[in-house]
Amino acid sequence: MVKVRYLLMGVLILIIGIALSLAVFPSEEKRVKKRFYLLSEWVSKSPEENSFAMLKKMKEIGTLFLEPCELKAPHDSLSGSYTRQEISAYAGSARSHFSQLDFKLYDLQIAFPEKEVADVTLTARLTGKSTSGEQIDEIRELECLLKKIDRKWFFSKVEVIEVLRK
Amino acid sequence: MFLIRVFLVSLFAYLFFGYLCIPFTIQGMSMEPTYPDGGVNFCWRLRYLFSEPKRPDVVAVRFAGSRVMLLKRVVAREGEQVEFRDGKLFIDGREIEESYVRFPCHWNLVSRRVEKGCVYVVGDNRSMPIENHHLGQTSKIRVMGGPLW
Repeated sequence: MVKVRYLLMGVLILIIGIALSLAVFPSEEKRVKKRFYLLSEWVSKSPEENSFAMLKKMKEIGTLFLEPCELKAPHDSLSGSYTRQEISAYAGSARSHFSQLDFKLYDLQIAFPEKEVADVTLTARLTGKSTSGEQIDEIRELECLLKKIDRKWFFSKVEVIEVLRK
Repeated sequence: MFLIRVFLVSLFAYLFFGYLCIPFTIQGMSMEPTYPDGGVNFCWRLRYLFSEPKRPDVVAVRFAGSRVMLLKRVVAREGEQVEFRDGKLFIDGREIEESYVRFPCHWNLVSRRVEKGCVYVVGDNRSMPIENHHLGQTSKIRVMGGPLW
């Protein structure tokens, strides 16, 4: 019984140790994930959002992208290379059509094919309400390429993967 | 002993409900009236272990992972020609009786062949315009399984 207690205490200490080290020294995977969480936070919009917060978020969205960034979403009329300003302006214009937006990301699979390059596949879901009161619920699979510059990860390519082809 | 039992039950539940029999909530009306919005079901991953998805199976199609899936009905298999004429489904030029479609439908979709390794999936609720409905061919690799009931 005493041995089991020591064993459990040992496992507990080990788990706490691992959790602490992960919190203090975040892995590259965690850093990449953080960029996605920021994107999700800045794309989302609450009904109470004022114009100052809207402008701030619009500007911040652009800072997540490399210049230029390649976007491939032919069904959403986006294809080609875009500057940060263009991405910010596009995001701002798109957000202005909605009174409320919730941008959620699921199933992030992160791979590092090269040094300082991250390849991320994920499911993105956009739900909300347009200014005319119409409900929206759009789901896309995305493949994103991120590059690390000055210890920060930036989106360099975002492509929408076609799951169903008419 | 008790802790070991708790650990084993938790491990089994995690593996079973996380990988074999994935619980999900239906969000949306694309499969109504067969699967109503808000319903709860399980995706049985072993459904196509020894067989292939075929018409009129209902399947779960994955996106990047298993957290978000589309629930759709298989209407055509690889190599078949699929077409909609005034809401009626035609496979290789033959009209297919679809008892599960209960709402009026007037879709028109020009004939197209389902590519190798793919199935053509559509929802049961076709009352909305075809442009607003998620349908099309998808790789069989994306078919995660089928609903338990």
